[in-house]
Amino acid sequence: MEIRKTGLKLAKSKPKFVDLVRETEDTFDLHTEIKAAPEVFDAEMLKIFEEGWVFVAHESQVPAPGDYKTSTIGTQPIVVSRNEDGEIYVLLNRCRHRGTVVCRADTGHSNFFRCPYHGWTYANDGSLVGMAMAEGWPKDFDRSELGLKKAARVARYRGLIFASLAEEGPTLEEHLAPAKKYIDAWFDRSPLGSISVIPTAHKYPYPGNWKWQAENGYDGYHGNFVHESWQRVLELAGEAPVSDIRKFRRGGRAVGLKNGHGLLERPGGLNPAASWAGRMMVTHPEYAVALRENFDEEYIDYVSSRRNIFIFPNLYLFDTHLRVINPVTVDSTEVYLYVYGLDGVPEEMNEGRFRAHERFYGPTGFGAPDDVEIFVSNQTGGNARGVEWSIYSRGMHRETVNEEGEFEGHSTDEAPVRAFYREWKRCMA
Amino acid sequence: MTNTEVTRTATRSPEATTITRAEAEALLFLECRMLDELRYEEWLTLFTDDGLYWLPIVDGDPEDAPKLISILYDDAQRRSERVYRTLHTPVLDQAPRSRTVHMVTNVEVFATAAGPRILCNMLVSELRPGGPQQGGLNETRILPARCEYRLRQVDGEWRITLKKVLLLEADQPLYNLAFLI
Ligand code: FES
Ligand SMILES: [Fe+2]
Repeated sequence: MEIRKTGLKLAKSKPKFVDLVRETEDTFDLHTEIKAAPEVFDAEMLKIFEEGWVFVAHESQVPAPGDYKTSTIGTQPIVVSRNEDGEIYVLLNRCRHRGTVVCRADTGHSNFFRCPYHGWTYANDGSLVGMAMAEGWPKDFDRSELGLKKAARVARYRGLIFASLAEEGPTLEEHLAPAKKYIDAWFDRSPLGSISVIPTAHKYPYPGNWKWQAENGYDGYHGNFVHESWQRVLELAGEAPVSDIRKFRRGGRAVGLKNGHGLLERPGGLNPAASWAGRMMVTHPEYAVALRENFDEEYIDYVSSRRNIFIFPNLYLFDTHLRVINPVTVDSTEVYLYVYGLDGVPEEMNEGRFRAHERFYGPTGFGAPDDVEIFVSNQTGGNARGVEWSIYSRGMHRETVNEEGEFEGHSTDEAPVRAFYREWKRCMA
Repeated sequence: MTNTEVTRTATRSPEATTITRAEAEALLFLECRMLDELRYEEWLTLFTDDGLYWLPIVDGDPEDAPKLISILYDDAQRRSERVYRTLHTPVLDQAPRSRTVHMVTNVEVFATAAGPRILCNMLVSELRPGGPQQGGLNETRILPARCEYRLRQVDGEWRITLKKVLLLEADQPLYNLAFLI
């Protein structure tokens, strides 16, 4: 699958990366090349994915010592591995001999990683524990520095595992701080405050830049157009007339946070007609009891809001899944949807969430393929390079900045995506 | 005989407990043609009310599916929503619409207490036509799958209680599958 390309490349005019984002008091524009030029992509991998914090896995995907999961940081293959001592290691998936990938499976369980080429063997923490036919090296050959290279820093927040390939920089705590209260509320939909990722995931590729997906998950502007067919299905099913859905979609807010995070928030409340949590508290009284044991009514009301939370640069927290954006090339992306159960809720509640997920998401869902179609159309539209700039200023004239420095906009405004590109610009400088 | 004159597989008798391979093939071929000719509403009637249309991500029994995520796990309501959405709402993911050619082979029939169980292999070729205005299109995709059907008699006709399609690529990243497989 390939998008037709024109010959015009960044090299021709050589603007600096930061000039691809153009902001004034009331305008916010992005240059076409930000999603089309291979040079931009290469720099993003270095400056955004390899210098910052990147989501790599959730703890429940490597629950026991010896469990591992392969993933990527930007385009670098890695292994997330749980060692005997229960610690989690993030290792570059590359044998220190000649560079072969040592672990090829998606997930698995093993007491060691053995390189398929010449059999060098590494423990779960990456240390080199065996070299085949060792007499080929001097007796004093130092193996201690030849373990699988570890990510410089690994840190976790509420089970979400992040890694950074940079020794220096903000801590994960500092990186996540502006989004922390939203992440907490999202986890607190579980009476135990935690989730368990289930083994099957939806995965979709698309021939387009990774940032189309990043921009879209909290975009409240497109729903009535891209998802008209979804709204018609809900109407057919007797769940809500299209006019009501549209009214509901006007409520809430779109918020741009510091450090590139952002969210789309729909009003919750304990009215079963308006909110999932409210509905569940009625249909599953034991869920209501469990929540009330932990929280007061005001916080339960806060938790019940529906939030799509973006954690810069590659993670979305959605109501049914963790969405991981994997950049492949400047115009190729893979998106993984890791569906999870909320811990401590009745089984039927999670199964209901799984069915709701299948209905909208994934390659045959009633909504997600429409979004993917748009990402591809966006990338194709970028070939019309006679127009250089795209407009991202919706709502700038009416957004407010609160005491915490959050840009709060109408639910259909582009406040979160502006926060993304301000951070993008800071990283790419 | 025109396409629409082709009717359902005739059953040998109301109390038949299984079918021949030829009868199974006739049913499968008819389904293929309904799908390729976009006769989705007729296709709905091939299923029993409690029938399941299922595309798993990993191979398994339908009983295990509720606790997992599938590519597609459609009961009667989801099936009719799917057909309604595809045919009668402004879908982007089927504009342009997929053209398909379904082929079924390696048909085997097993008699079970619950009725006939059919195993077969399927090859779906799919194309969404497009030019430079529609990136990612105009490429024929080949989707091989191993399938299982289970049938039950309703009012003297064999209907589908399970259509399971295990795509070769089931657990791999999958682009738009917003047509009926
Ligand atoms: S490349 Fe791994 S042992 Fe030689
Ligand atoms: Fe969408």
